[in-house]
Amino acid sequence: MLKKYIDRIVLSLVILISVIAFIVWFTYNPVQDFTASIPGLDNRPPRDASSEIVNIGERFDEYSTISTILTGKWTRFRGADYDNISKENTPLIDNWGDGPKIEWEVELGEGHAAPVIYNGKVYILDYNELRKRDALRCFSLETGVELWRRSYNVHVKRNHGMSRTVPAIIENYLVTMGPMCHVMCTDPNTGDFLWGIDLVKDYDTEIPFWYTGQCPMIDGNLAIFAPGGKALMIAVDLASGEVVWETPNPDIWQMSHSSIMPMTLNNKKMYVYAAVGGICGISAEGDDKGKVLWKTTAFSPTVVAPSPVILENGNIYMTAGYGAGAILFNVSENNGAYSVKVIQQYKPKDGVASEQQTPLLYNGRMFSILPKDAAGMRNQFVCCDPNDCTNILWTSGKEDRFGLGPYAIADGKFFILNDDGTLTIAKASTERFILLDKAKIIDGMDAWGPLAFADGYLIMRDSKTMVCLNVKKQ
Amino acid sequence: MAKKEKKKKLNRRDFIDRGFRFSIGAGLVGLSGLLAKKSFSNEYVWQLDPEKCIQCGRCATECVMTLSAVKCFHVYDMCGYCDLCGGYLRPGVKKLTTAAENQLCPTSAIERKFIEEPFFEYHIIEELCIGCGKCVKGCNAFGNGSLQLQVNHRLCDDCNECAIARVCPADAFERVPADNPYKFSGNSKDETKKS
Repeated sequence: MLKKYIDRIVLSLVILISVIAFIVWFTYNPVQDFTASIPGLDNRPPRDASSEIVNIGERFDEYSTISTILTGKWTRFRGADYDNISKENTPLIDNWGDGPKIEWEVELGEGHAAPVIYNGKVYILDYNELRKRDALRCFSLETGVELWRRSYNVHVKRNHGMSRTVPAIIENYLVTMGPMCHVMCTDPNTGDFLWGIDLVKDYDTEIPFWYTGQCPMIDGNLAIFAPGGKALMIAVDLASGEVVWETPNPDIWQMSHSSIMPMTLNNKKMYVYAAVGGICGISAEGDDKGKVLWKTTAFSPTVVAPSPVILENGNIYMTAGYGAGAILFNVSENNGAYSVKVIQQYKPKDGVASEQQTPLLYNGRMFSILPKDAAGMRNQFVCCDPNDCTNILWTSGKEDRFGLGPYAIADGKFFILNDDGTLTIAKASTERFILLDKAKIIDGMDAWGPLAFADGYLIMRDSKTMVCLNVKKQ
Repeated sequence: MAKKEKKKKLNRRDFIDRGFRFSIGAGLVGLSGLLAKKSFSNEYVWQLDPEKCIQCGRCATECVMTLSAVKCFHVYDMCGYCDLCGGYLRPGVKKLTTAAENQLCPTSAIERKFIEEPFFEYHIIEELCIGCGKCVKGCNAFGNGSLQLQVNHRLCDDCNECAIARVCPADAFERVPADNPYKFSGNSKDETKKS
């Protein structure tokens, strides 16, 4: 009897404990303390278009005048032929001899903007942080004396530099684009303001991270820009400032740091642009001016700084940093219809890539400095066959590594600028890296602005100082 | 008056005597201090050299502590306070938001706070960090390298037989003095106070 009674009690207890355990298990939420990672936890305020009223080209200050016999020209980003190769015949130095010949140096606002050179004058779009002004500054190439300055007030906060574009110049027109997407056209001879466009206000352009990096293009009597927002690309008449054509932007691609490059395929001239969203080719002539001929979204990183490299037979190479790697693709045309075919696409450790600078094409080979995420060959200067960008033919080796700085070719030599202001001269060989000499030009940092060559002078900069070197062979 | 003058006056014998005693005392104190310092600095602990670290991920899996005593530290002096942070965001993200799918850290151990357009501050939540080094790799590749892995000596067992050091492929672990147990690359040496 007692045993039966105990059995019942035990059974009841077991049932009770089981029921309680089940209820606890059923009602317990093991993830109750978890916090969902959702957008907005960083308290970022909504982005609204700048309400700042900017009077483009409002101020002019004249300081000096010069007379010069110099006729050398470096007329836009990557030079007249968009290839970063100086075509002048002036023999240049092979080594630094007793040291670099610095003709002059000028303090600039923090940034990476670079100059153009035209008939003995140097033009650069600087940002004056103290007065909060974009300033187109004109200097004498020989002496560094500032001749005049055309400026306008605009508020730009420091963010890894402020200015970062190169103007475009022809005989009577000079076009600039400021950090906040303000386009200005001036007369380079007098500094007279001709016209201006606020791309943010007119086209809903979204200002890229770290501000505008796209360098304006002049093609004939037109200035070409890729604003993103309401228009993928626009052409503006240089004389009047009127918009001649606009390319619709149904995919709402955004402005990148990349610049527009010209291309001719089967005698059809087009503009190639790598936007944030994709790459496109836009007709540059004929009845379909401004029409999208082809486009691809095969390569669409969040940040795009280098510009497309136009190769032979419709091939185009494009690269970007932040792990994006590179793509090699082909554009072909058949009875007016264009198609895009990807040939190679890879991560930066698997082939030639670049984070900021656009690779160089020279004598059938392509040259670049690999980014930091390119594994063992990171930061090395490399050469490849542009038909197979994953096959690196040679590198500068572990001893000669570089950074995010620019490189160009002049008089058969590579001029390679390192982040810290060290300028390397190497023979422009397609066979191997042949170091000639290197020297620390300035004790600087973030020397990323493109180089400019004219009349035997080389202009380079770090984040705050622009330097003119005399590199003529004596 | 004469008494006072007598008190003030110190004869040569007393002067030498006092001087001798004082010298011996000072010598003994100095010697003790030196010995104590030498004894203390003889203690070494393991630390990770950020310059050698290749962010292989073994710090997260090989440490005898659960979670790993290796944590990410943020050297604020070096940080660019970027909106597009290579340590916080996965490469190629389309939107720079705090959504889980955009974050590089597998445990959401990095907190991102808006300061002012366009700057953001990043803070490591120590309790969530597993020391995998993914953020460090991203920061090194695209940023200033302000995120760095270190053995957190508040959490480390200091067992003297570091299990991670045995398997570190970059040979990045080394012995450092216990009174200066952190080894940051860059400027700041006070990140332990901030984390």
